[in-house]
Amino acid sequence: MSAGVTIRCLLGMLGTDVHSKGIRTLAQLLRDRGVEVIYLGEHNTADGMVSALIAEDADVIGLSFSTSTYVHYTRDLIERMKAAGVDDVPVMLGGLIHREDEAELRSIGVKGIFGPGSTTEQIVRFLEEVTGKRLSAGRDGFG
Amino acid sequence: MTASADALDVAAAVRRGDVRASARLISRIEAGDESIVPVLQSLYLAGGNTPVIGITGPPGAGKSTLVDQLVSRYRAKSLTVAVLAIDPASPFSGGAILGDRVRMVRHNTDSGVFIRSMSSRGVLGGLARAAGDALIVLGAMGKDLILVETVGVGQNEIDIMRHAGSVVILQTPGTGDAVQAVKAGILEIGDVFVVNKSDTPGADRTVAALREAIEFRYDPHDANAWLPSVLKTQATDASGVEELVQTIERHAAHLASHPQAQRQRLLAQARVRITELVSEGLRRRYLGSHAMNAPFAALLDDLVDRRTDPYAAAGRLLGAVG
Amino acid sequence: MTDSRSAADIKAHLEDVSVKLSRTATWSGIETQASYGPNDLPDHDYARDSGDPGEYPYTRGAYPQMYRSRMWTLRNIVGYGAPADTREAIAGALKMGTAGINVVLDTLSQEAIDPDHPALSADAGQEGCSLPTVRDLEVLLEGIDVTQTDVAWHSTMMVYPLVVAMVRKQGKDLSKLQGSHMPDHLQLRLGGWSEAIVPAELGHRTTVDCIEYSVKHSPRWALGCPQAYDLRERGLPASGEIAVGMAIAKQTLRDLAARGLGVDRVAPSMAWVSGSDIDFFEEIAKFRALRRVWARTMREQFGSQDARAQRLRIACHTSGRSLVYPQPLNNLSRAAVQTLAALLGGVQSLETCTYDEPICIPTEEARELATRTQQILAHEVGAARTADPLGGSYYIEALTHRVEADALELLGKIEAIGLVKAVEEGTVEAIMDDYNYKIQGELDRQERILVGVNKFQPKAETPPKRFRFNQAHMESHLQRFKELKGSRDDVVLREKIDALYRVAHRRENAHAAMIDALLADGSIGEVWGTVRLATGLPYDPFRVLESPFGTPRL
Repeated sequence: MSAGVTIRCLLGMLGTDVHSKGIRTLAQLLRDRGVEVIYLGEHNTADGMVSALIAEDADVIGLSFSTSTYVHYTRDLIERMKAAGVDDVPVMLGGLIHREDEAELRSIGVKGIFGPGSTTEQIVRFLEEVTGKRLSAGRDGFG
Repeated sequence: MTASADALDVAAAVRRGDVRASARLISRIEAGDESIVPVLQSLYLAGGNTPVIGITGPPGAGKSTLVDQLVSRYRAKSLTVAVLAIDPASPFSGGAILGDRVRMVRHNTDSGVFIRSMSSRGVLGGLARAAGDALIVLGAMGKDLILVETVGVGQNEIDIMRHAGSVVILQTPGTGDAVQAVKAGILEIGDVFVVNKSDTPGADRTVAALREAIEFRYDPHDANAWLPSVLKTQATDASGVEELVQTIERHAAHLASHPQAQRQRLLAQARVRITELVSEGLRRRYLGSHAMNAPFAALLDDLVDRRTDPYAAAGRLLGAVG
Repeated sequence: MTDSRSAADIKAHLEDVSVKLSRTATWSGIETQASYGPNDLPDHDYARDSGDPGEYPYTRGAYPQMYRSRMWTLRNIVGYGAPADTREAIAGALKMGTAGINVVLDTLSQEAIDPDHPALSADAGQEGCSLPTVRDLEVLLEGIDVTQTDVAWHSTMMVYPLVVAMVRKQGKDLSKLQGSHMPDHLQLRLGGWSEAIVPAELGHRTTVDCIEYSVKHSPRWALGCPQAYDLRERGLPASGEIAVGMAIAKQTLRDLAARGLGVDRVAPSMAWVSGSDIDFFEEIAKFRALRRVWARTMREQFGSQDARAQRLRIACHTSGRSLVYPQPLNNLSRAAVQTLAALLGGVQSLETCTYDEPICIPTEEARELATRTQQILAHEVGAARTADPLGGSYYIEALTHRVEADALELLGKIEAIGLVKAVEEGTVEAIMDDYNYKIQGELDRQERILVGVNKFQPKAETPPKRFRFNQAHMESHLQRFKELKGSRDDVVLREKIDALYRVAHRRENAHAAMIDALLADGSIGEVWGTVRLATGLPYDPFRVLESPFGTPRL
């Protein structure tokens, strides 16, 4: 992999949810694997996230939810991504996602779902799969 | 190299302020994609009109909060702004947490503000070049001004700050010795010094120490000289921010009325930019294709086993390419 | 009789169920020994470090007889949907034998945002009860006299002004008001309420304002401060809970003293809100160390002369974070052990987390089982018959000293920076991030085992039952809210909003003015939004709404 190529992953939360310790920890773990995490934190609106997604040209967008209203917020976000023409960016969800909602989420367009018990390794493999880029730790400094 | 039709399209989109096109172009800059050079060439030739303000300081100084406040003030004056926020990458993994824009969330849906986060990706020497190229793009988007935010005052940051017309150096009071504040390098590049978190005890002492060091270096007989100001801010409640904006404006006016001093700075910037590009080109030419190949690996073995020395080895590489 | 399967087959099917010790450190990371003896406590002095239960420094318990003279309050959390829904749940809980009710509000109410917020309406009533106005509170507490019945509120922002407004509206005596809430705002700020929702300085000042008002006007109202349960859940070791909680408590008490309210006037109204995490021995040590640190701090640093200020009362909710999603019935065991630790730790009120906590808000069955857990511990296990039963255990005493020492070290670091500053700068948040990062790494590498999560995973399970409720009440609730806004006296409300703006702008205690505005049928979003505006912040933390009152007159 040529130097200068990495995976840019937007991580943030929508709505009133405050349980951000999950994505804060994930941000650190992904950084350790060579990912560039654009961290948006809590309390974003869908419009704000979409704007950030475009300006940062992120490869993936990751949302974390611990409130039960994630289907509504995810659908809203993906609709706005479609309207802005960025629905080709893969969406992944993490947090308290119930297995019985997975089918509906995938039909809305979510590509990766990482509910309770998911490992960092699984998320990293997903990122590599959907972006077609491989992460490797350590740089050799050559151009 | 004449620009292809594609390149001209991209350049035109950037100049229209197209966010998507500009963002994608910056990504390709970061990836080291050489095919976009014609676009950059075109944009450079058409640019140079957007003032660039650099802001740097140690971690924890409150830069992002201050930048957020500056953006708000500029927006209140109906000025459009581009922000390039640069964070260090992990030296081990090359990854990074780009957490500057989280402090500027309120500007996310304002089309008059473009924010882009960037890191060095652990690429030796590449950050300053990539940042410089990103600034070419931002400079062509038609914004009224550009803010570049970096962390620290290492060589990388100083090289990036050379792209700025006005450089703001942030300090926090009480972060060790007041003498820390006057370390070589930052006094030379700073046009405005800001002591943030001004309600911290020790803030006034830091301001005084800075003023003393600055006045010591100032030559009142030099007609072109600018005496850097030292300001206090409390970014969390925006106090001092309006004064900072005005000080930056005064500095810009100073540069405009001292075209020679202005030109010296621009020449210094150009020198740094060319040096970056040539160094990187040379590095790629001499080492890029060798990195994976057997003779190079064999040369490294020879060096470690002391069958040859580094000077002879380097000479062979340089000689081989002519 | 031989089985048709071969021995090899059988062996392959059997899981390795031998139990191997996976770690020797406590869950928070304190290394422990294989055994402890008197040599591990060379400096321990009973009178100085322990005291009898009910005696300074209260290590062994706040009261001499402990649960023989006062049983702990068995509380259950209720709250979902519209006020009418939660009213029903309260009635159900009371019927089941719960002595105390703890009401949890939805995220919008907790963040002082109205349920009709255009971007956030989907969250109304989902994770707790939607409570935007005094009239809604009246519906929620219909038939309950708050001067006779103790209702606890698991919320911080705006709930106390709502309750006081209702008491005044009902013409009842505020000095007789019973109940409690959790006024600690800095804990919110550290817990994911971003600076946008709870600015550190305004938040902390509001905490002090609230306690000042309550101590003066409703002395029987208990103040759950610090709210160390959420601090701990966010990412702190046991000693960290004490350190950060003490930093908040001390700063709050100092600020109140500066207003003329001394420690002996204020501290008796305060209770420490705590969790009970999974490491049984460490939690017991934590409760003991906490009481000792509190008592010594009040006496030695604040000059307290009243035992009621020195003996800390602890309100405990067992840890939700430590419960897991896979094979949730295991959480019954976890919660039982945590509840036992809290009782052996001598807490004054106790909520046992429901086993379905990681899945959804509690079903009625789960609530019932949580109550039964406490009843089994009380009546069958004998957990309550003797004060501080593990006092004198070499292990427990050594662990207590260690947790205390670690806590005081971190507390010193935070106080050296200054609490509000340390919060604003992200220093405390960084400590929490580092702790969580470390734990996740250990989980990923299986250096820390979480049964069902990274080892001993259950085979495919059917998803557990989720709590669902009839959304019809929510619809009529939102409709009534809209109608209220259309039918109230706008002139009077506008007056009260302006008055509130002026008080908040001068940075004075705005509680009386907030209460007046709520009495004029102002909503929590409107009232708090006005305080925000007066403090130079946007009316709506999400920056979608503007104040409907325009620019207030100064």
